[in-house]
Amino acid sequence: MRRVLLLAVLAAAVIASGCGGSGSSASGGKVNIVLWHGYVDVEGNALNAAAKRFNATHPKIHVTVQNYGNADYALQKVLTAIRGGSYPDIVYLYGSWAANMARTPKAVDVAPLIKADPSINWNDFWPAERQAVTVGDKIVGVPALVDNLALVYNKKLFDQAGIPHPTADWTWDDLRAAAKKLTDPSAKQFGWAYVADGSEDTVWRFDALLWQAGGDILTPDGKHAAFNSEAGVKAATLLQQMATVDHSVYLDNGNGNYANLFNSGKIGMLFTGPWDLSSFPDVDYGIQILPGDVNHNTISGPDQWVMLDNGDDRRNAAWTFLKWFTSADEAMRWSIATGDLPIRASQTRTPDYPKYTAKYPGIDTFVQNEENAVKARPVIPTYNEISQAMGQAIQAVLLGKAEPKAALDQAAQQVDQILAQGS
Amino acid sequence: MPLAAVMLLPLVWMLVTSVETLAESRHFPPTIVPSGIHWENYPNALDSAPFGRFFANSLVVTLASVAGNLVFCSLAGYAFARLRFFGRDVIFIVLLATLMVPFQVTMIPTFLIVQHLGLVNSLGALIAPNLVTPFGIFLLRQFFRTLPVDLEEAARIDGCSRLGVLFRVVLPLSMPALATLGIVTFLWTWNDFLWPLIAISSTDQSTVQLGLASFQGAHQTRWTLLMAGNVVALAPMLLVFVFAQRWFVQSIAATGVKG
Amino acid sequence: MTRRLLGSEHAAGWLFVLPAVVLIGVFGIIPIGWALLLSFQHNDLLTAPTWVGAANYRELVHDPVFRDSIRRTIIYTLLFVPLSVGGALGVALFLYRPIRLSRFYRTAVFVPVATSTVATGIIFNWLLDPTYGIANFLLGKVGLGPYGFFQDPDQALYAIVAMTVWGWLGFDVIIYLAALQGIPQDLLEAAELDNAGRWGTFRHVILPLLSPATLFLIVWSTINALQVFDEIYVTTRGGPLHATTVLVYYLYNQAFELFHAGYAAAVAEVLFAITLVFSIAQLWIGNRRVHYTS
Repeated sequence: MRRVLLLAVLAAAVIASGCGGSGSSASGGKVNIVLWHGYVDVEGNALNAAAKRFNATHPKIHVTVQNYGNADYALQKVLTAIRGGSYPDIVYLYGSWAANMARTPKAVDVAPLIKADPSINWNDFWPAERQAVTVGDKIVGVPALVDNLALVYNKKLFDQAGIPHPTADWTWDDLRAAAKKLTDPSAKQFGWAYVADGSEDTVWRFDALLWQAGGDILTPDGKHAAFNSEAGVKAATLLQQMATVDHSVYLDNGNGNYANLFNSGKIGMLFTGPWDLSSFPDVDYGIQILPGDVNHNTISGPDQWVMLDNGDDRRNAAWTFLKWFTSADEAMRWSIATGDLPIRASQTRTPDYPKYTAKYPGIDTFVQNEENAVKARPVIPTYNEISQAMGQAIQAVLLGKAEPKAALDQAAQQVDQILAQGS
Repeated sequence: MPLAAVMLLPLVWMLVTSVETLAESRHFPPTIVPSGIHWENYPNALDSAPFGRFFANSLVVTLASVAGNLVFCSLAGYAFARLRFFGRDVIFIVLLATLMVPFQVTMIPTFLIVQHLGLVNSLGALIAPNLVTPFGIFLLRQFFRTLPVDLEEAARIDGCSRLGVLFRVVLPLSMPALATLGIVTFLWTWNDFLWPLIAISSTDQSTVQLGLASFQGAHQTRWTLLMAGNVVALAPMLLVFVFAQRWFVQSIAATGVKG
Repeated sequence: MTRRLLGSEHAAGWLFVLPAVVLIGVFGIIPIGWALLLSFQHNDLLTAPTWVGAANYRELVHDPVFRDSIRRTIIYTLLFVPLSVGGALGVALFLYRPIRLSRFYRTAVFVPVATSTVATGIIFNWLLDPTYGIANFLLGKVGLGPYGFFQDPDQALYAIVAMTVWGWLGFDVIIYLAALQGIPQDLLEAAELDNAGRWGTFRHVILPLLSPATLFLIVWSTINALQVFDEIYVTTRGGPLHATTVLVYYLYNQAFELFHAGYAAAVAEVLFAITLVFSIAQLWIGNRRVHYTS
């Protein structure tokens, strides 16, 4: 009766389930490698198409592309896979995880590969990307994505308020004044938006301001916090004034509502990157480099393909794939299909580049802006802890719960402790 | 009742979003009344990935889990409710205690065990850890204890084995509890996301929830397709619930089955 | 003699629980043992771990964020359990009467439970947005607010309580509905004959007979409340300013954002201990107060 039924169901389930694998070594001369990614939609299709092209032109290698779901969960999945001993050959990871990934022996150090095979043209990648994958002497990945923060604004709102559009010479004062003018409580309209959830999203925008004021996150020897300098306090004060005095800032709590609000014409300006542009179909937006103080530095948030070691054959095959995939021609193809910024400086000189700028109006500003991404966040294992300390401080300032200097000093104290302890 | 309205709000929103255009969905505050009904979001969502396969997988896993739970929790629940045996209360607490450690901590060793059993990336990985849950044991124990014990004693005197008592006397009287356990197990297994994410890496073995997650990119979410997918995923749940109601709800005015 | 033993209650009891014990032993107890071992290590899940004895636990004692997260978790639990169980009792009693559209209402109450956490998070993020949300809009009409809800460190935890009670009420309701099935008609009729009245019937007949279900729901809700995570992950992410950093969120942050898995396991063990204490206390009280028909 019931028992029999249960056994039948169980048996059916076991039979129905296959046994998946995770790639395999050379079988009949062909090397199978597995790539994990979190791309969906346009990017997902582009990746599948690229894999197909690669497989067709490289008969000795077969790349299987697998979507691991949301990249936010990727780390948990990858850590589990590594622990379990069955992991892919290439995996897409956020830049913030690079320093920690570098510590596992399973992550392939790309530096010797580059030395042995300069055809990848390593220095062609933007400096920010190369910095993001370099952990001490090790290079832990190949650049997958690069972006930066620029000023995206709603042209119509500017015109309605009678403010001239932002120029490349804009200062913080210009930003503040414009935001104030664009704020209208009765229409529930804000001049600016800031992600205020205390996460890296909060911190990296602050970093751009910090660098623009001439400051740094850590001291050059990497042993102490430096963000609570005068430059840092200046940046934090700007945020405090705009958020708690002018009330011209919409504080997004990390769920991305700011994008929809901007698209609904409720926000005048954003500090954001190219990934958000497709969320603004209803806005005639303009793009300008960030308003500056001492300089117009911006910040870049590169992600990378990390190679994991499954033996010589598979590692070599993975390297071949990554070289091919990140070559100027393939990368340009990718950019045109997806709107992602070119990962190589030389791409701006390929014949297809104008197609790219024609398809994505204003994208050229982002590409040029990459040259303003002069400084990078420290690529050390303790960075996430540092980020959290800074994030809490900035969030407190934005919510009006702390004064800029006090908050930054307290965070600096915590960071000094973190750095002293190591990880 | 206003309470019902509050409860149904998300469903309404999901339905509305699922028939909007993508551009419309990128508004905040969200549009309540879409410009038109874009039914094509549904086939678009379902075509973007092998949802048929996902549904089949989810169904197999969920039904197996429900069946397993109904059987094993009945057995164990009955033992804890009625039988006296050495170490009974201690074992009960120990089983219950396994619910007290968060999954984020146990998921890695669970993965290692499943791997050891050779089940990784198969539906077996999704079924095996879910065949019995202390929740179900606890639930049935409570219900069984509310039944009048004389019926069971009478059956024993008539020569019925303990197993027979369970299956012929106790379970028929426990339909509400069993239906509840079935629904709840169905719900949890159907909606489970984190464990399938870790245990499954190939599309062939993916479940509906994993399929839905593919609509959420790191920076972009295709809300319209995601909600269409969610509505379709929600449908079996609600169907099961509506269908199963006859087993655990009888109006107080109806003549009772039990006296 | 053997026959007596084999037919004995002990053997039967063990046989009956054997499948469950085996399955839960493999998939429940072994992982927990592993987690215990993990709590005695410095482990980032990537490199070789180092054994550090009780160092993680010692660190916990001095960790202000951890101490605060215990306090927050307990506050959350003490609010969530009575509200959801008590509220569910009320709703279940209401739905048990022969009212029109009862089937519709029952399904409506169940919908939040079946809705994915992601969708729930999106809804509440919208409803409770300080500027654009409906909540402040309606409250403004009666002269209250505006409130910060998820963005106000003093209100965020309570907003989470509201959101999770909303999401789980239906679950408790169906448990109660099933339990109400078990109330013999004659008892209710006898109470009516005794002129017990609605309240009297409730207090002296229904409530005691529902006590097994109530005990179950209290223990179960407590265990779950102490582990609340998903709803916080899709809304406040432990903020603002740690206002919603409960134990499991703190643990997740330590393990998967800061790579301190050993420390996270220690947090989990403390949570386990707290939960065990709560549950044993509740079960012990329950054994004395709960009324099982015999």
